[in-house]
Amino acid sequence: MSDSPILFVRTVAKRFGGTVVLEDMNLMVERGSIHALVGESGAGKSTLVKVLAGIVRPDGATIEFDGKKAIIDSPSAARKLGISVVLQQPGQFPERPVLANLFVNREPVHNGLISRREMEARSRDLLRQLGLAANVHAPLGELGPGDRQLVAIARALLESPRLLILDDPNSGLDQQQNERLSLALRGLRARGMSVLYASNRLQDALAIADQLTVMRNGRDVLTKARQDLTASEEAMIGQLRQSLFPLPLRALSQHAGTLRPQITIDGLGGGQLSGASFIARAGEILGIAGAGAQDLLALLFGLKKPRQGKVRFPDGDGLPRARVEAAQRNICMISGDRGNGLMPEKSIAFNMANVVVGARSWGPRWYSQRSAIDRAARQIEALRIRSTPEMPAGSLSAGGQQKVAIGKWLEIGPQVMLLDEPARGVDIGSKQEIYALIRQMAASGCIVILHSSELSELTGLCDRILAFHQGRLAGEMAGEHMDAGKLQKLLAAGKTAGDERQASRESAA
Amino acid sequence: MTKTDAAPSLAGSASHQTGHRIRLPAETGAVIALAILVAMLGWLSPSFLEPANLLSMLGQAALPGLLAIGMVFVLAARQIDLSAGAAFHLSATFAALLMVDGMDPWPAALAGVAAGACLGLINGLLAITLRLPALVVTLGTWWMIQGLSLVAGKGQAVVPPKADGNFFAGLSGKAFVIVPVVAIVFVALALVMHVVLHRTRFGYRVQAVGSNPQAADYAGIPTGTVRLLTLMLMGAMAGLAGVIHVGAHGTIAPGDGSTFTLLAIAAAIIGGTALSGGRGSVVGAAIGMLILQLILSAMALFGVDPVWNSFATGALLVLALAVDRLGRWWRNRDGARTGDNPVG
Repeated sequence: MSDSPILFVRTVAKRFGGTVVLEDMNLMVERGSIHALVGESGAGKSTLVKVLAGIVRPDGATIEFDGKKAIIDSPSAARKLGISVVLQQPGQFPERPVLANLFVNREPVHNGLISRREMEARSRDLLRQLGLAANVHAPLGELGPGDRQLVAIARALLESPRLLILDDPNSGLDQQQNERLSLALRGLRARGMSVLYASNRLQDALAIADQLTVMRNGRDVLTKARQDLTASEEAMIGQLRQSLFPLPLRALSQHAGTLRPQITIDGLGGGQLSGASFIARAGEILGIAGAGAQDLLALLFGLKKPRQGKVRFPDGDGLPRARVEAAQRNICMISGDRGNGLMPEKSIAFNMANVVVGARSWGPRWYSQRSAIDRAARQIEALRIRSTPEMPAGSLSAGGQQKVAIGKWLEIGPQVMLLDEPARGVDIGSKQEIYALIRQMAASGCIVILHSSELSELTGLCDRILAFHQGRLAGEMAGEHMDAGKLQKLLAAGKTAGDERQASRESAA
Repeated sequence: MTKTDAAPSLAGSASHQTGHRIRLPAETGAVIALAILVAMLGWLSPSFLEPANLLSMLGQAALPGLLAIGMVFVLAARQIDLSAGAAFHLSATFAALLMVDGMDPWPAALAGVAAGACLGLINGLLAITLRLPALVVTLGTWWMIQGLSLVAGKGQAVVPPKADGNFFAGLSGKAFVIVPVVAIVFVALALVMHVVLHRTRFGYRVQAVGSNPQAADYAGIPTGTVRLLTLMLMGAMAGLAGVIHVGAHGTIAPGDGSTFTLLAIAAAIIGGTALSGGRGSVVGAAIGMLILQLILSAMALFGVDPVWNSFATGALLVLALAVDRLGRWWRNRDGARTGDNPVG
């Protein structure tokens, strides 16, 4: 009994509309082990996790838990089996105190009243172990993203599960919190708990895992014990992502001296960002990463008001005061947060008219359905969206939706493109196409600024990367000096090691 | 699959594909309901189908119908205006008082419409500057406006003098012997506003803001202005209805139009406008208002005590919502196809 796997999953399949997310996925988690599930975002990790959490119903699957066939058709069914799940975006209650968030729906009750004292007593040790030194009576919203993530994990652990499933748990954590979490997980493993740890950061996964499953396009490609993994296999897993990125067309960025449109940013501050100064030139993809990078995009698009500093856009004007102005000045913002980009129940043609008809205040006052459909048909062909203009945009796959969000901006021929995680949660094929599109935009003379928390995306796609640490520009790398590991260190520590300083000096020259 | 269509006329090939699935317009449900209702009532009491009777019903539907037209825009922009009925009353009282003071009826009427638009503007400014949902703002202004019109009218009916002019005669009269003038205004405006909602930039923005305010914001659509304009339009329509009421009935009494807000919302929803915003149909709302009026007058015809009217209106609204929800559920179930397999 004790040597049978705690979780055995065979031939899981799931499609959303026309998109196959999971296709013949198999997984076996040993009892009392930490099993890492790695793969690109969009490989289907999160969907598999949601299947195991009872949130998504698979089209077909055989699941055995603890040697017995199990049907997980609801979150409470999963909980009853002893599966606790921390999702990538855990449902939390920011207005409620930390304690209430730890004991959602399981509050200890004394004489019909919720006992705060018992909640505190039961959570104290765990929180200390995780290194969460927050006031448990404060609203959760006052905590930083890392601490909030820890609260979500603590909540799952308080259910004392037999199998803990973590979906990308370290996305919000800093180095120290990450180590604490690893330590806590190892401690729990020693007490017999099993962990399934889904992540798209290979290094983190390798550091903690006993076993490893690599996932691609909804299938398991490779499953091995950590110690059996050879160096070459490790490298191969790491290289899977490299093929994603189109070959950079660096011809333009060599002529640094020629007169090209550029954005000059001088001492810009606002939100987390403070005192950023740099130049973004046409023809290059400028990557930005770290705390404050998102604020930078928000400032440039007029979503936020600047606290200090000056900016000069290629059209000679300063920061747009509002989104409307930005859109009218051909500054576009594409966010990977699909809620920001799409009107799902409206047709693709309607969505494609967003900027041309919606944002502009010139041109005809009429909204012509025919020209909207022509426009959509043009973009559908150019971007290879597999649908027709009349279909609702929500019926597209995630990749298709993102292409619509990009396509509506291409209609105005943008001069500045601000990209915020433009390929998040998109399948590999669309990802490749979106990357190629970004590359093409830069090559055609557009100023492209790309923010991403996936560092390999930045190193693969960008010509130059600016790293921000605590809102300040910490360093810059370009060309062959770009490396995800170094970038990671730069973002975490905010210190420029010798070689990186050299790199930044070189590119500045 | 990745291959794009080689045919040069992509728009043509696209429309060819959509020929496979028939897309019913949003008004279909309302039209069917109206047809069934008319047929049933005609069968039960043939005199009901006389043109004069039907047209007079259209006349009755006109005033709340004007509010429903404005309400479609408000709802399509994911707003709601609870103060519309009160704005109707205050604009009517305002215009009537100006006439009592000796102003010529036509400019007084214009002032009434402007007053309505102003009330809408106030609603919009409050909602935007305070960043409050229109539901809360108009809940407050509803009572304020209602209170104001009681104060202005001193709690009594305001009866403007009918000494001169073609204002009263024109609005209470009938064209082509049997068609009430208000009905013509209503139908014409419904058609015009339908085109405005679906074929102009303003209408496009209204639907875009209602469909996904955040996406609209990110696309550079001036969402604040759009909200403001829809609420102003709503106010202006209420004002217009109020002025026409004064013209057609020659008076405005306390309590007139008290049910109009809910009637307008109900009519818009029955006509296929989504409370969640993003889609709306002015023609559908007009048909929805006809359905409501048909049922109300049918109840009168069959001797049901009019105290049941509010109950019937509410029940119809709930029914329309339920049918809409069921329809959407059915479509989704159809689309998902594979979503029903149980695990294991």
